Amino acid sequence: MMNSLFVQTIIAYLLIFAVPLVLPFAFLKLVGLSGLRTLVTYEAKDTPLHNLDPRLKVLYPIAMGILSILFTWKAMLVVFGLTILPWFWLRPSRAKIRVLIVMIIGPAIAGFWGQGMYYLPPPPIHFLYKFPWTMAWLGSPGITTYGMVFGLEQTARVLVTVSTSMLILISTDVGDFTWAFERFRAPPHVGFALTAALRFLPEMIARTHLVLRAVELRGYDMSRPRWYQFQRWPEYAKRLSRCVVLVTVPLLIGTLRGTTTMAMVADARGFGTTKRRGSLRVHKTTAVDIWGYAILVALVASALVLNHLGIGARYYG
Amino acid sequence: MSGARTAGELHAEDVSFAYVGAARAALRHVDLGVSPGEVVLVTGASGCGKSTLALALCGLIPSRVHGELRGRVTFGGATLSGLKPHEAAQFVGMVFQNPNLQLINQTVQSEVAFGPENLALPQPEIAARVEECLAVTGMAGMRKAAVVTLSGGQKQRTAIAATLAMRPRVLVLDEPLSDLDPVGAQEVLATLRRLARRGGTGVVIIEHRVDEVAPWADRVVLMDDGRVLLDQPPHAAWADPAPWLAAGVGIPDMVRLAHAVPGAFGAGLPLSVEEAAGALKDTWFEAALAAVAAGRARTTVAAQATARRVPAGPPVLAWDGVSVEFDGKRAVDDVTLAVDEGEWVALIGANGSGKSTLTGLTVGLGKPCAGVVRFGGQPVRPGKVFEHAAQVALLLQAADDMLFETTVLKELEFGFRFRARPKDPVLDVAEAIEFFGFAGREDDSPWELSQGGRQRLALAALLVGAPGVLVLDEPTTGQDADHMRGFLRLLDQVRARTGITILTVTHDIRGLASHASRVVLLGEGQVRLDGPASRVFAAAGELARWGVLAPPLARLQTTLLGQAAADVLLDVGELAAAVLAHRPGAARAGSSPAGALRP
Repeated sequence: MMNSLFVQTIIAYLLIFAVPLVLPFAFLKLVGLSGLRTLVTYEAKDTPLHNLDPRLKVLYPIAMGILSILFTWKAMLVVFGLTILPWFWLRPSRAKIRVLIVMIIGPAIAGFWGQGMYYLPPPPIHFLYKFPWTMAWLGSPGITTYGMVFGLEQTARVLVTVSTSMLILISTDVGDFTWAFERFRAPPHVGFALTAALRFLPEMIARTHLVLRAVELRGYDMSRPRWYQFQRWPEYAKRLSRCVVLVTVPLLIGTLRGTTTMAMVADARGFGTTKRRGSLRVHKTTAVDIWGYAILVALVASALVLNHLGIGARYYG
Repeated sequence: MSGARTAGELHAEDVSFAYVGAARAALRHVDLGVSPGEVVLVTGASGCGKSTLALALCGLIPSRVHGELRGRVTFGGATLSGLKPHEAAQFVGMVFQNPNLQLINQTVQSEVAFGPENLALPQPEIAARVEECLAVTGMAGMRKAAVVTLSGGQKQRTAIAATLAMRPRVLVLDEPLSDLDPVGAQEVLATLRRLARRGGTGVVIIEHRVDEVAPWADRVVLMDDGRVLLDQPPHAAWADPAPWLAAGVGIPDMVRLAHAVPGAFGAGLPLSVEEAAGALKDTWFEAALAAVAAGRARTTVAAQATARRVPAGPPVLAWDGVSVEFDGKRAVDDVTLAVDEGEWVALIGANGSGKSTLTGLTVGLGKPCAGVVRFGGQPVRPGKVFEHAAQVALLLQAADDMLFETTVLKELEFGFRFRARPKDPVLDVAEAIEFFGFAGREDDSPWELSQGGRQRLALAALLVGAPGVLVLDEPTTGQDADHMRGFLRLLDQVRARTGITILTVTHDIRGLASHASRVVLLGEGQVRLDGPASRVFAAAGELARWGVLAPPLARLQTTLLGQAAADVLLDVGELAAAVLAHRPGAARAGSSPAGALRP
């Protein structure tokens, strides 16, 4: 009995903590700071997707987001599939594909796992694995298929927006975003904030990477223990948290210096002097754009109608 | 500055400025004028007020940089300090030192269009300005390129194009060459000269690298302690070296040579290699130089025959067939190289030639896709930076990024928290404090030190860990001549004291690379030349092929002698003494003024 309880407890711990421990590790190993930098870096190409009307591109993630909210799980899968298709059109670099896959699969596993433990169906509950009483302090009675499916569904909904936003992010010059926002009557500062963030995010990531390397070069031990060296992990966690404090000073000083220069440059280039800016771009609406708009409108309208008719619609109750 | 003021002239009239809270004024009674189409070089030691002057000339003082301003800066009839920044920017545009911080947009053309778009100009006007500015800066072919993919020179040219799109009448550039290799620097300077000559734009270049800028300038302004010390045309500016020596600012090599060999260059002072070579062609100097070269060739052959160097042991650092790839592109391509104990090796090459990648591998930064890197015969494990940093100390270009503590003393002790103190340190913490000049400043914050002081502190902190090799990545970038000489002296002292092996990555061909015992040229990720500086810098053709410009002295010798200059002299004093020794009647003349001018 004791043995059985002991073994059950060990299995339960493994099931609960395996994913939260493995995911950050997999993220650091497979993506890391350089991967993140790759992910948010615009790829200048001459694909049809790059040449689409920027307004259409801004509307695309919003429309697909609406669809993901309205539909049921099965219909959602179709929507998710639809958002994957344009990626084939874009043909991103290998480095980007690798990072994207990790960034999609990671949250999917996290959602699936978390909800599997904590989202409970109405009784009677069928557990895939029921935790022993020793795990009661964690507040989860066990893992259910129902919860896992719900987790996947929720993750897929989020991923629809993530996938569409990422697609647009790496295929659109920020200047085009700014143009689109201005055409939507948003204040120029919104476009500028977005421009600055997207332009300097990769720089910030690169700089953080550099400063972290500098800490190591100065003799700060950032070496990760092997997974089985349990006694060294708490010390490692302590060193990591101390490192955050250490790197903050040079990062902050560098960033403040940078923003001062950037502000002077923006001033000198006349930013904010007129309510409505001019534009280098002349975006003539092409047949492809018209088709794009038509498809988006048709998709959203169909979703609303189907939802109204109760076909494929989510159940709220 | 003399002469009547013209309509399109930028003028600083008795300008003084003190930053908020500063005890001393950064600018003191500065009078300066810039005429249309004129290229003005402003130089001076670090902290002399050059960058502050740039901000004042652009009207960013006091509206964006606060402090007490006296006097005024005018363009035509308008006082710039009374205008809004974007209004002033249409008279005087500023290109800041770091192009990374002033390129706000993602592509080249978006960046250039940003200013005109902000002014709400009609689309055809914006397009015309973008076209014109891209063409004049030579960036038209890269209009759609993402900013992150550009080289340092391309970023700088994009920043210039973006500033020009505001149609300023005067362009002020704060250290535009600091991150550029010599070839990239010449491209930017040629662009600026073209702007001045064809477009009538006044150009103010604030720069330490006077050797490179001097031939392009119409006027030279020397600043010291917030004042204008000298303001003259270049040939007259260096007629008397005394103020330059007093201000601690570099003098172009050709000028120093002309002072060291009086009369050799005729009436005027040469500023460029071309001018000097033109003046020396078919003179006794050329003949004497040929005799020196022949003598050196004989000595070198004899020395090579008798003293083939046999290393005492295995190399301290070795790259065996090393290749590194980024996104499918080879940054380092099958490099085999060894550095012996006690050597001082300089790695040179154009921007993007793989220098920093190659040196980073010595501490485990980056992973080769082929080959092995070894320290003391043992493979360097990629990613194990902490492990290898104890053996190989890498000083990054941005030394500020390597300081993490609250006091100088704590900074020096930083590494010992995680690693045992070396049993037999060549330099312990107490000695380092004395040696690097931090005595009495142990409890000061590193951020209270000057930029040079912070760099010394980062170097000291690395050296107390008793590494076997010191790797320096562009350590003299943005430093004035005095600081550069000081740093070289410091490295000499460190070597004399510790016997440490030094590997430097540098664009500073004239100073740092010429000081090294061996120079390795990298081109497109491969070793193209490897040997003593005197021989590597004689290979002008090969250097040019890989985007590197030899030091002016070396170029003068190869221009005059061609293939005969297989082993060049890199020190003005040495060259002058050698040439004067072969001057007709030299034996009778006896003394020479070659040593009259220190570098």
